[in-house]
Amino acid sequence: MSLVSAVFLGFVAVVALIYYLLPNKAKPYVLLAGSVAFLAVAGAWTLGFVLFTAITTFFAGKIAAGKGEGRSKTVAAVIAIVINIALMCAVKYYGVLDLITTDINNVTKAADGSFLAVAVPLGMSFYTLQMTGYVLDCLWGIIPAEKNFFKYLLFACYFPYMTSGPLNHYGELSKEFTKPITLEYENIRKGIVRIAWGFFLKLVIAERASVIVNAVYGDHQTYTGPFVLLGVTLFALQLYTDFMACMEVAIGTSYIFGIKLPENFNSPYMALSIREYWQRWHITLGTWLRDFLYYPLLKSAPFIAIGDKAKKAFGKKNGKKVPVYLAMLVLWTAVGYWHGGLWKYVIGSGLLHCFYIVGGMIAETLFAKMRKPFKPDKLPYKIFCGVRTFVLVLIGFFFFRAANVPDALQLFRALFTAGAMPEGGILATGISLPDIIVLAVSTVMLIAVDIYKFRPDQNAEPRLVTDLTGKLPVAVRILLLALLIIAIAVFGKYGLGYDSASFIYARI
Amino acid sequence: MTREEVYEKLNEVFQDVFDDEDITVTDETVASDVDGWDSLEHINLLVAVERAFGIKFTMGQTTHLKNVGEMVDVIIEKLG
Repeated sequence: MSLVSAVFLGFVAVVALIYYLLPNKAKPYVLLAGSVAFLAVAGAWTLGFVLFTAITTFFAGKIAAGKGEGRSKTVAAVIAIVINIALMCAVKYYGVLDLITTDINNVTKAADGSFLAVAVPLGMSFYTLQMTGYVLDCLWGIIPAEKNFFKYLLFACYFPYMTSGPLNHYGELSKEFTKPITLEYENIRKGIVRIAWGFFLKLVIAERASVIVNAVYGDHQTYTGPFVLLGVTLFALQLYTDFMACMEVAIGTSYIFGIKLPENFNSPYMALSIREYWQRWHITLGTWLRDFLYYPLLKSAPFIAIGDKAKKAFGKKNGKKVPVYLAMLVLWTAVGYWHGGLWKYVIGSGLLHCFYIVGGMIAETLFAKMRKPFKPDKLPYKIFCGVRTFVLVLIGFFFFRAANVPDALQLFRALFTAGAMPEGGILATGISLPDIIVLAVSTVMLIAVDIYKFRPDQNAEPRLVTDLTGKLPVAVRILLLALLIIAIAVFGKYGLGYDSASFIYARI
Repeated sequence: MTREEVYEKLNEVFQDVFDDEDITVTDETVASDVDGWDSLEHINLLVAVERAFGIKFTMGQTTHLKNVGEMVDVIIEKLG
């Protein structure tokens, strides 16, 4: 069931109705029943995989947080984590399950007969990380282990975030699940507005942008020079609106149940540096990797020893950065690999960004000298930094969206090739003139909203799309919401032959 | 070790890690108050504090200390 579909809206309405009719004690169980139903629709295998991860991590968490001897706690945690990460890698990257395709197809045949269509669990990359984090939180004494398996199972499979996040910490979310909840107008308002905004982003912007993106990435002979630049820029728009749509619907749906999920985006394309970009893009993944991979690596004995040796060899100031560079290399390789076990991801969303950040740190003295003639606090310099950062991100998208690394390199070549203009110009990609106008106007709307949401301090609580209209009179708010819904109904790409299930990040 | 003595030593660690002899931290000091105290420098700081006081922070403390006051509470607890 796609998050951007009428079926999903109906499903949410039914679950919400039952949820608010029943007393607080029963509410988590209503959400659990809804979540299990949501997963069952996704496929029996999805439910099976989630249950397996939930059971193994639940018991590992119990041992890890228990009073037993330190070593056995660590061993239990490590076993559960290794099993689940290995399972995720096997399912997602190596097609190990292809080996048993025939057997499984005999039991659960997908409509098109393909095995992977039913067997790759929905949002596996997200829930595996989330539950791995739970075990580590238990092991490190940050939270006590959950005693009630059903409460834990709700954390494991809460349906709004099962498609692609956001990632949560059990310590924070369990409080949300168990707090007393009453039907509040503000929660419903925020939920509906954010769901509508999500539908708009996906159906009006992302799907339209994809027409040009698919054409440009698919034909390097016809589309060269400025077309490549346009295609890659529109892919940046498509990926952002596609992924943010998923988050808006997830967070909005959860608002309807009175449960607040963490924000995952904070005007990322307005970042002034690559480091800042990653503090604004897919925020919950960045926080997870920092807490559960980057910090533990740097605090491990081998990395501390490397730091000591490096300080002796390169001096205190430079030497202390050496373990940071190494940890960055591990971190970014993991980020790339997590996006998919292909080199195009490892380079495009991993190693390239590692190169930017580590390179920036190594060359900081040089950059500081180059910055001297400029005024870093003034707007022109900030615009320069913003554009530079966006261009660096775009270079990553050459790889990320291409079929493979050689294809990405061909696309680079096409960018610097002055080919003939295709007949019909931009219309040759298959997009119509009215579609171009709708895409342009809606993108301007998105940019305006992002400028409103933007706060220069990336750690400050971001403004939300719901704050934009929050202080307007109710009649104006209703009118704006109605206009948004009409815009989705008139300009949205949906209907027969259109598969709204294909969120880019749902495949990750 | 008294809280004052802990602060005296802690200030030296901060000054050394961030190469700034003017740094003086208090209970309310948070990362954004100290120039250079970001996620990249955070672990360097904690390892330096661990060495100075002969203690070990757990991973939970590494990621969940809210301010310097909480750090000092942990140091005193571990020394005691």
